[in-house]
Amino acid sequence: MIHPKQSYLDLFRVGESQLDTLVAEALRHGGDYCDLYFENTTYGNLTLRDGIVNAAGRHIDYGVGIRVLCGEKTGYAYAESTAMPDMLSCARAASAIADGTSAFYEHSVRAEANGSRMVGRRFRGEPNPAADRYPAGSPWRETEASALIPFLKKLEQAVQVRDNRIVKIIAMLAWQVTDVLMYNSLKELKYETRPMGTVSVTAIFQQGGKTENKTVSRSFRAGAEMLTDRLLEEMAAEAVKGIDERFAARRPKGGRMPVVMGAGASGILLHEAMGHAFEADFNRKGTSIFSDKMGQRICAEGIRIIDDGTLKGNRGSLNYDDEGVPAQKTYMVEDGILTSYLHDRISARHYGVSPTGNGRRESFRYAPIPRMRSTYMESGNAAPADIIASVPKGIYVDQFSNGQVKIGEGDFTFFVKSGFLIENGRLTAPVKDINIIGNGPEALRDIVAVGDDLVIDPGAWTCGKEQSVPVSCGIPTVLVKNLTVGGE
Amino acid sequence: MLTDQEIALARTAMEFALASGAQKARVTLNKSLMELFGMLNGELDKVTHALDRSLQVALFVDGRFGSFSSNRLEEEGLKAFLLDAIDTVRTLQPDPARDLPDPSRTAKDALTGREPGLYDPAYEELTSDKRRELALGTAVWRRKAELEKGFTLISEEGEYSDSLFDSVVMDSNGLFARHTETSFEIGYEVTVEDPDGNRYASYWWDAAPRLRDILPALETCSETAVRRAAAQIGPMDHPGGKCNIVVDSECASKFLTPVLNALGGYAVQQKNSFLLDKAGQRVFPERLTILDCPRNPGETGSRLWDSEGVATQEFPIVDRGVITRYFVNTYIAGKTGMAPTIEDATRPKVVPFGGCKTREDLMRKIGRGILITGFNGGNSNTSTGDFSYGIEGFAFEDGRITHPVREMLVTGNFIDLWNRLVATADDARPCMSKSIPTLAFENIDCNA
Repeated sequence: MIHPKQSYLDLFRVGESQLDTLVAEALRHGGDYCDLYFENTTYGNLTLRDGIVNAAGRHIDYGVGIRVLCGEKTGYAYAESTAMPDMLSCARAASAIADGTSAFYEHSVRAEANGSRMVGRRFRGEPNPAADRYPAGSPWRETEASALIPFLKKLEQAVQVRDNRIVKIIAMLAWQVTDVLMYNSLKELKYETRPMGTVSVTAIFQQGGKTENKTVSRSFRAGAEMLTDRLLEEMAAEAVKGIDERFAARRPKGGRMPVVMGAGASGILLHEAMGHAFEADFNRKGTSIFSDKMGQRICAEGIRIIDDGTLKGNRGSLNYDDEGVPAQKTYMVEDGILTSYLHDRISARHYGVSPTGNGRRESFRYAPIPRMRSTYMESGNAAPADIIASVPKGIYVDQFSNGQVKIGEGDFTFFVKSGFLIENGRLTAPVKDINIIGNGPEALRDIVAVGDDLVIDPGAWTCGKEQSVPVSCGIPTVLVKNLTVGGE
Repeated sequence: MLTDQEIALARTAMEFALASGAQKARVTLNKSLMELFGMLNGELDKVTHALDRSLQVALFVDGRFGSFSSNRLEEEGLKAFLLDAIDTVRTLQPDPARDLPDPSRTAKDALTGREPGLYDPAYEELTSDKRRELALGTAVWRRKAELEKGFTLISEEGEYSDSLFDSVVMDSNGLFARHTETSFEIGYEVTVEDPDGNRYASYWWDAAPRLRDILPALETCSETAVRRAAAQIGPMDHPGGKCNIVVDSECASKFLTPVLNALGGYAVQQKNSFLLDKAGQRVFPERLTILDCPRNPGETGSRLWDSEGVATQEFPIVDRGVITRYFVNTYIAGKTGMAPTIEDATRPKVVPFGGCKTREDLMRKIGRGILITGFNGGNSNTSTGDFSYGIEGFAFEDGRITHPVREMLVTGNFIDLWNRLVATADDARPCMSKSIPTLAFENIDCNA
């Protein structure tokens, strides 16, 4: 949602001249650049437990973060009040990074216009409601809790009737709406309102003295109009899918083997194995294993890996990143060649390129850093069934809970909730609860088949690199010829 | 740090809620101030100043319950927020299990906030210049040539921070409790490169509630991180299989936290715990005792009350292998009929046994196996206790490290794992709220 500019100025109780005053104060001791990030977030949640919707919450977070850049150094402070004295105090605290020798704000604007400092380009113009990527039809703040409760009850019933082994169901609806106003020393003013709705349901199953659980989530940048019967039925069906296999599943024999990653949530492979290593702050600091690989082949010809902030309603999408840079579709890998890192303004300056709209932050309490948005691989040309059929012995994985990466070494892991053994090209015994570990550059090189079935997973993925931000991931079916699989 | 006016505002909020339709209410007011100085390759890279406040309100309205919070603490806006909150709670279904804790269970001895001995007056003497000086003195970048023996230091990134946290909880049954603590912390992440261009990263950190206790670590933290990173150079494949493992005290909480979570009342009530129906039973070996020690003055993690204001107390969580109880808050007690306790372990402590003092003693005792010094991802199944984690560390033989290992996984089930605990060291890190020494387990599945 993009409301008129004045509504944001009113919300944060500032005028445009005061924005300039704050920037000037923050740069009083020097510094090359300053930005202001005003945020007003409302969180709401409802929980169904033991058959009743018996808990609700609403939370407000309001404040302004002020950042001063002095070269690549950062001064950051925030205030939970937008009263002018509090913001001025905050601006002075952020200015502590400057040592008095850097350029003043007026100079930074002039110099930037000459292309000599700070960022490669300015982003002029006002936000355009017609180009909004998340125009919520039913704004969460205006939707009464009483109008949302029936969805959770229907969801519970839809899950319960599908499997009589279910002993408990927990269904949750969480939403948030964030108003943002951003201004900087380049005189760019951006504003928007970001919705997010997340539904999750966890079912606990018991059978023969054993217990299993399954959680399904859906998350979109959308309003309450996302709560449709179609969504409800889709989630209910997924909540009970594969439970027979989960009760029957066992740990495989561990070791190194080929792994077929099912389409969709397997995109966590891209997020952990390469996405983080492409975030330019790690490269700027020399810590990423990909820091000297720009322009080089890192995987097979034909593979394209993208970080996309432009998918309408997607959990990772943005109109503007948290530095006021328009979101874009960034090709990180084209035809197997590393072509772009993911940049915020600091790293873009370091590399002499334009920022890619990846400067993101958890809230006004944090300075932005390069972060992924929706990260996925484009479809290839192999039939998924043919990929499985090509594996004499390995595993197929399709449901995950979390992942992690060590940036320096490139070693990544992800936890597999469920999958199957592959024996002689066929899916056989179900497997579950195993961790898989590999090395990012090696895993990229070891992708030997790419399916024609890209799926971007609609689950509630959250990336936790220093700060939590919503993301999404996707991938077609792929075959990685060698990964280490945990087992007995 | 919390002002009298802020505390008075919290009380006003509670009284307003009670006058506006809530029959009971609990208000928690938190305030924290943090100063952070970040260093990159020996130079100041980041300065952060953070002041946070939040008012959390638990409302009990007509047998219904809701939890609300705001950081906008103007009185009129807060009142409008509370009226809206009460309306929201009224839309819910009644749940008779929701209640405040009985006043006989709540803390009576936390009136000033300083009773746990976690407040250091030296905090008030710190100036911005002094903090900057402390932070800049922690980097080793300028003398990296002295450290680089067979490797190159690629990057050194660290943070010095200190904070003051102040919290008050009050409820309509007369509860008033306060907790105040200071914290001083140093952390470094470094990347080194061997002559073949292979990179290895590691970290180290330390923290203390008193400034004087962190000063030694300011001197050594980054160098420790460099040493840990360099030790990983030259990893070799390990055949895996059933291995003895020694888990360093720095990362041993990875194995204890899921056990504590499985003892949580919510998990048990929702039948989503691998320790369901195990209270009172000997589930673990007789040599294992885990205490909760929340009231040790001056020790990290000490706390006199939980989030409901219930007084903490020292008790055995696992007594010679027997699970003594679940952690049951007022709500879960009402749902299940179990006796209420504090809601979670506050400062759990694995009682050392086996006579070893240090990690090295333990490795000598075990002889051969894998020393785990960190985890890389992985997870566990809360219903079954099955787990699988990526690990980093070293192979050792005859009690001595032979080589780093790479791309290894450890896989098992928590109940089985803890039954394979054969000895511990006595080296729990004082900076951690979970007091866990280095642990040794036998015959664990390791994959490579």
